[in-house]
Amino acid sequence: MEAERNGYQKQIKAIYQFISEHLYFNRPDIEVKGEHYNSTILFSILTGLKKGKELIIGEPGLGKTTSAEFVCSLIYQIPLGVIWSSEVSGHPEQTEEKIVGRPDLGKLNRGEEDVVWTNFTQLPAKIVDEINRLPETKQSMILDGVDRGNWEYLNEMIVNEEYSLFATANYQDGGTNTMIAPLVDRFDVMVESRYPGANLAFMVGKGERKDQLLRHPKSERDFFRLLKSKIHYEKKLPKMDEISNGFGEYVHGTLGVKPLRREDRDQIRAEMGDLLMDLDASAFTRMLLAEFSFCERYGQKRSVETCEEGCHYTGYFCHEIKNCASNRLPFSIRQYAQALAWLLQDPEVDIEHVKSVVPYALGHRVQWKEEVLARKERSKRDDPFPIFLAKDAVRAISQRYREQSDHLKDALAAGSRIFQGEELEPLEGDHPLYQEIKKDLEGRRR
Amino acid sequence: MKKEKHQAILDEIWPRVKRKHLYPEIPMPKVGELGDSEEGAAGKDEGVGLEMKEKQMTVNSAFLSSLKGRIPEEQAIEALLDHGITHYTFCPWDFHTHVALYAEAKKVMGDKALAKRAANYFIDVVSDTHCVKKRFSDIPELHRSLKKGKVEEVIASLYQRIWGIDLGVSSSGKSGKGYEEAVRRLARIPYLDRSRWNESILKFCRTMKPLLLEEQQGEGSQGGKGESSPTGDHDFNNYSYEEIDEGMREYASEKMALSEFREMVEDFSEELKEAGYGMEGGMGRGRGTSIDADVLFYMKLAENYAIPLRKVLVEEKGTLHPHSHAPWEVGSPYQDVDIWTSFGKIMPGITQIWKKKEGKGRGRVEGTPDCLIAIDSSGSMINPRKSLSYAVLGAACASNAYLRNGSKVAVYNFSDAPMGGKDTLDYTDRREAIYRVLCKYFGGGTALDLDDLVPLIRSRKNLDLFVITDMKITNLEALISYFGQIENRVTAVHIGENPYAARFEKAVEKRSNINIFTVKRKEDIPNIILGKIREYFHSTHRGP
Amino acid sequence: MKNLPHQNKDLADPPSRNPRPIRNPFEEFKVYSFVKTDIPLDRIVESTEVVMDEIRRGYEKLLEEEAKELVWMVQYNTIIKAYEVAERYVKEIRYSAEDIEDFCFALEDTQRIPYLIPGPAGLYISALSNYAQEAEIVLKLSELKTEINLLGFRLPKGKRLIIEGDTGDFTGIGVEGGELVVEGNAKNWTGAGMRSGKILVKKNIGLHTGEWMMGGEIHVEGRVRGLGNIVEGKVFERDKLVYPGKARYPSLYY
Repeated sequence: MEAERNGYQKQIKAIYQFISEHLYFNRPDIEVKGEHYNSTILFSILTGLKKGKELIIGEPGLGKTTSAEFVCSLIYQIPLGVIWSSEVSGHPEQTEEKIVGRPDLGKLNRGEEDVVWTNFTQLPAKIVDEINRLPETKQSMILDGVDRGNWEYLNEMIVNEEYSLFATANYQDGGTNTMIAPLVDRFDVMVESRYPGANLAFMVGKGERKDQLLRHPKSERDFFRLLKSKIHYEKKLPKMDEISNGFGEYVHGTLGVKPLRREDRDQIRAEMGDLLMDLDASAFTRMLLAEFSFCERYGQKRSVETCEEGCHYTGYFCHEIKNCASNRLPFSIRQYAQALAWLLQDPEVDIEHVKSVVPYALGHRVQWKEEVLARKERSKRDDPFPIFLAKDAVRAISQRYREQSDHLKDALAAGSRIFQGEELEPLEGDHPLYQEIKKDLEGRRR
Repeated sequence: MKKEKHQAILDEIWPRVKRKHLYPEIPMPKVGELGDSEEGAAGKDEGVGLEMKEKQMTVNSAFLSSLKGRIPEEQAIEALLDHGITHYTFCPWDFHTHVALYAEAKKVMGDKALAKRAANYFIDVVSDTHCVKKRFSDIPELHRSLKKGKVEEVIASLYQRIWGIDLGVSSSGKSGKGYEEAVRRLARIPYLDRSRWNESILKFCRTMKPLLLEEQQGEGSQGGKGESSPTGDHDFNNYSYEEIDEGMREYASEKMALSEFREMVEDFSEELKEAGYGMEGGMGRGRGTSIDADVLFYMKLAENYAIPLRKVLVEEKGTLHPHSHAPWEVGSPYQDVDIWTSFGKIMPGITQIWKKKEGKGRGRVEGTPDCLIAIDSSGSMINPRKSLSYAVLGAACASNAYLRNGSKVAVYNFSDAPMGGKDTLDYTDRREAIYRVLCKYFGGGTALDLDDLVPLIRSRKNLDLFVITDMKITNLEALISYFGQIENRVTAVHIGENPYAARFEKAVEKRSNINIFTVKRKEDIPNIILGKIREYFHSTHRGP
Repeated sequence: MKNLPHQNKDLADPPSRNPRPIRNPFEEFKVYSFVKTDIPLDRIVESTEVVMDEIRRGYEKLLEEEAKELVWMVQYNTIIKAYEVAERYVKEIRYSAEDIEDFCFALEDTQRIPYLIPGPAGLYISALSNYAQEAEIVLKLSELKTEINLLGFRLPKGKRLIIEGDTGDFTGIGVEGGELVVEGNAKNWTGAGMRSGKILVKKNIGLHTGEWMMGGEIHVEGRVRGLGNIVEGKVFERDKLVYPGKARYPSLYY
């Protein structure tokens, strides 16, 4: 079992290596447990493995879409040509018919209803280019579909068992459709596809055409034929796997990198799901969530309410933000931290995994107060502003955690015992998490 | 060879040490050769064991070799790493804390070098004690192995008492009975209570002062400049430029006292310049330029009052155009039906209509106006170089806001202008120059010279004016008359109520482009000014 | 087709049967037990705080009894009475010499001790010094912003009180055989009414020095601004005997 586990991690790392050396040239910008990675490729791979949703931002032409395409091709064993055909491009005139499916026109003229599903809905790898240029209704439609895995049109439905979403967007500014907060919140992580530097950028134009490496005309033709066919979607899936496996063998034979089969991905997900968070990681995450959502005066953070002057909790994260944490945030943190821990072959998810993941899971979900933005927008940084602010916040919260980790864990342990019925008093402390524990226990007592 | 061996040990223990300290955000340490320690030298010259430069820790291989036989290398390395990491994670944690501790130490020690030394010892005691209590560290073993001078013996005795661990220092040792009282006093200090560090370092220094003076005299007579601590010194190398910048801002904001800030900057001027910190970012300025502490104080303080950048307005053009599709519903009009996307069919569920939207685009980009600040520095105003002047602070906030939006700022600093008590700075984006003129103080009478002011106003098409004064201007009528003619947005902030201010208010009350604020509390000046600027920046229409 | 499984209401479990146990949100922490590592520092700091609280309470009680509405006039009988009250409270506390010094600095911290009234404070500190176990007490008060009056009151024989820093008025009044050293300046009425013992002031001294002094010696290494009505005893200025010495009028500035 141990050898098999190691085999998958090695395989994923080989995929990472291949992408970074041949397909997507960029510098490592994140360090975890002494290993350096490029965040775009790393989080894209983790998104593919974890069936997540990733928002990739960046300047035009810096590889936002291509990075996602390469990752999807190798993780899902889909030739690049097929992926291109399934991409939804963001422009205001996109319609449901181009995104989800359309009526079979021949049958429609005969008065029969039948749906021709788009490649986007049928394939597990879903890429939306410049999602912020789509009208809000279409953004919502895509995100709803990816949330549940269901796609409906004309009273028909297909259910995706396996899927992940990669959406690209330019930096949000006036003049383009902004993505509203409830939609942005649905993305698990946000990463930036950065400028690789003059030397690597120069290399981008040299050498073989990268996009040909992952093309295979025969597999692509087989895919198109299958996707266009009238076979029921459930029956298409094993055939799609067959074609994918063929493509995978081709890639392995010619390029030396082994893409993942469906059973590999399922196994990896199972292994990832088995990893538990250690107590520090759990306590730290709870501490972060408490600071993100707590308000002593109004019960919880709300974006329509402002902080009082001289609030006791001025030094905490809640004082710098306007909105409350959504329930998707802890889910995203846990999923990606698990994935990262698995990749690094660690026996459990620890605080370093969580700290590495949180800025990318948090950055797009926070609405900062204006004075915070004003104070920090001119700071020297390498990351885009939202991720920089999130990293700064994580650093400060982690410092607070370091100072009171024992007492916090003790408070949580006491909470557990009280919850089980022991006659104990909850521990006192200054941090919002102590108040949250008390509230949970009061609810239990009632 | 030894260096590689030490590096291999470090590589092996680093993951464990990092985990012990809950994964601090610092890079992997290195092993290197540090300082000018002489191998085989007699006495306690083992060199420095650890160096931290911008969070990069370097362990001294020669130091480790000198400890051979006294402590296993692995233990020594782990203890040094524990010590170094704790400086980053606990004490002093940031530049602001470091400087605050130094400032408190100086109150007792009086002397800069002694204050630094005392602060260093205090920081070491706090960090090592924290490590021993919370992190199960081998630091006691390291201390047991180190050679000690008098002060180090006292510190080691202190450690014995507060840790309850024998470090091999006897009470009848070098330090002698005389220092028992010192150790007793030092042991009472709550080192681990961060909220009381300011108070604790005072107590620490009071007790350590005679010892440090003795040590200093001893070094003076030997011609030495002072031994470095074996576990490394704490200088500003540990902090990046941004951390120093942030720390200065916090220190200025916490103290709100010009003299204390000035003292700190002057004491550390060399170190700040070494760290690349100077005026205007320090880039390319060279180390010859001296830092004007007063100007720096107002700069840092004003940075705490930032407002967001002005957003470019998005204007709606007024014409509708097809934008996106929506499903057609029975009963909806036909004229917006898109035949193509509806596949030529008119039926619910198939037919799509165009939703039209007003065209949006970036409005005519007017740019942020320039700003002219007229600030009163007559005798009735506070001298900004003696104590905190909220008038200057407000002016500084205004100039920051305009500069950040790409505009230029001119300053007219007046006292008795016709008699030469004035300084004029033409429109510029050089923050330092602006602050220097703002901080000037004449302390004479109060009279504007319109011949100075008018050219500055006329030379700019788009201009906002800020006037900060107590309104006791002798030629107020002339000013009122002139303001009655101009269309620029004028914000007048006057301090305190007086007949002149009332007269001014009355005279300009019908002018919608002139806003007057009477400030009762000086502390409100920056917020008033910024509030007005916020209004200016976010209004869609300019003044009449 | 959107065919959702139809739920037969009759088959649904009524809510009272098979209730699912409420999930414990803290369950993973049930195995955690905090092992508190105590070092001697914790005990020392804790006991120091306890003692400081007792000392502070004694002072507050003194103020309640003797400084009604926080007003206290320096008079012979008020001094005696306040000292007696201070003695009463001080005798109940176990403290060390360092606690006295800490208390002096705590007086300046209005968050810890809201009221510093120099007279009662000085008497209280004097009582603390007189009843301390140590024979020699050193109070490093150079950084104290306030000059405390009435320090060294009734310093008994066998006690040596060394004050680093300046003192206020009425320093060392009523000294009863002890030795008081002020390593700074003292103000007016120093050594008034002292019976025996020694006062050494390393810098300057103010007016009315030794007023109604009955015995003992006052040594000043700086300048003496003025002498009081001395009954008996000696006053030295820079090792020169100034009382009894050349005819000098008491209470005159010279």
